[in-house]
Amino acid sequence: MDIQWNILAEYAPFFLKGTLLTIGLSLAGILIGTILGLFIGLGKMMKNKLLSFPFGLYITLFRGTPMLVQIMLIHFAVVPLFTGGTNGIAAAILTLSLNSAAYIAEIFRAGIQSIDKGQMEAARSLGMTHVQAMRYVILPQAFKRMIPPLGNEFIVLIKESSLASLVAAPELMYWGRAMQGQYFRVWEPYITAALIYLVLTLSLSYVLSRLERRLATE
Amino acid sequence: MKKAKYLVTFLVMAFMLFLTACGTSETSGNGSDSSNEKKTLRVVTDAAYAPFEYQDKGEIVGFDIDLIKAVAKEAGYEIDIAHTGWDPIFVELEKKIADIGISSITINDDRKKTYDFSVPYFLSTNKIMVPEGSPIKSAEDLKDKTVAVQNATTGQEAVEGLLGKNSDQIKKFENNNLAIMELKAGGADAVVADNTVIEEYAKNNPNDKFVIIEDKDAFAQEFYGLMFSKGSKIKADFDKALNEVFDNGTYAKIYNKWFKVDPDVQLLKDQQ
Repeated sequence: MDIQWNILAEYAPFFLKGTLLTIGLSLAGILIGTILGLFIGLGKMMKNKLLSFPFGLYITLFRGTPMLVQIMLIHFAVVPLFTGGTNGIAAAILTLSLNSAAYIAEIFRAGIQSIDKGQMEAARSLGMTHVQAMRYVILPQAFKRMIPPLGNEFIVLIKESSLASLVAAPELMYWGRAMQGQYFRVWEPYITAALIYLVLTLSLSYVLSRLERRLATE
Repeated sequence: MKKAKYLVTFLVMAFMLFLTACGTSETSGNGSDSSNEKKTLRVVTDAAYAPFEYQDKGEIVGFDIDLIKAVAKEAGYEIDIAHTGWDPIFVELEKKIADIGISSITINDDRKKTYDFSVPYFLSTNKIMVPEGSPIKSAEDLKDKTVAVQNATTGQEAVEGLLGKNSDQIKKFENNNLAIMELKAGGADAVVADNTVIEEYAKNNPNDKFVIIEDKDAFAQEFYGLMFSKGSKIKADFDKALNEVFDNGTYAKIYNKWFKVDPDVQLLKDQQ
């Protein structure tokens, strides 16, 4: 296999720029997605069916349609609706956040519901309010159980951010495709991109496993 | 237990029968071929480029498709046309998975290094598409504007010649339709692409109020060719067949069918 290192060197600054944007998009997606997801997950757990319905609908829609379709719709229809113009980066952040929120909502719900009912009853009988019981007893325990599925979701999110290349947001995959298009070579751009994605996801799973060990009680 | 065994055997046989049936229906065209040595050629295209090649209810049609069918018939080859998307055309030909690429591919020196081309079969120029009332009047005016193009096309090269390679002002899309949508949605000030495609779009979508600008000084004439792997043995056959199709009027008939005007065949032949 002949690898032309010189064209890779030429594109290195673009790959660097693209990687930084990929990290930015992923971090924004993770942060906004987690906050939204917590809110939506709590919403779906409400006992009142009428109130919880919109949250359930949201999860169904975003989890049940391909992200490729979501990013195209948001880029060409939703973002122009608000700003009058398109913006690939804004569309990518919005799509990643909204999409991951749907998954994270379910992770939160599963985490909280996995805590034994007796924990809440015990906390309440100690005189805590419902909010206090949630905050000091249920959530800390639930959070520990949520770390592995959350890490999973974050890793998927980093990889899914490559779809932003289709709406011309100049992230990692965009430059990989641009390089492929210029030289009509597949190995150099795509293996480079794959390796960078791998480094990004590996670092994230390292951070998460550290966090997991730190929170371990046994 | 024994029953299950019979069932599995039956299923496997049914499946194989089904596969064979599919196989024969696909290659049944070969039956009449007198010389058995000639295999069916794999022709690859990016069928998202009306009116040259696009999918009409799942079937690949267009000017290029009619032409390659006529030329292959003239040359005495069976062909099998597949839609692969733009970038894979180049990969498939380089790896010799496909035999011919036809997809409004411009002949240029860069591509000639890796591929062989037939004689030119179509004249094209890049033109600029802008919304009505845009301040852009020529290629020079693009210098401080955002331009949407299709990735890895001569339209992209033309714009890179003006704005610099990998400039932030160039937005590269998977295909021209997405680039035009970007212009429509306000994310770009202009689209630069082959004239036929954007003229066709502007004609079919008068409500979008797009204007096409020609700049002969900035964008050179380009010629489309059939693309082959380097050192392809079938190139000579197809060059000869193309010239016959030019001479016997078939080319003009196909051209007229798709573009409603007569072609300048002499101009194409002068390029050989």
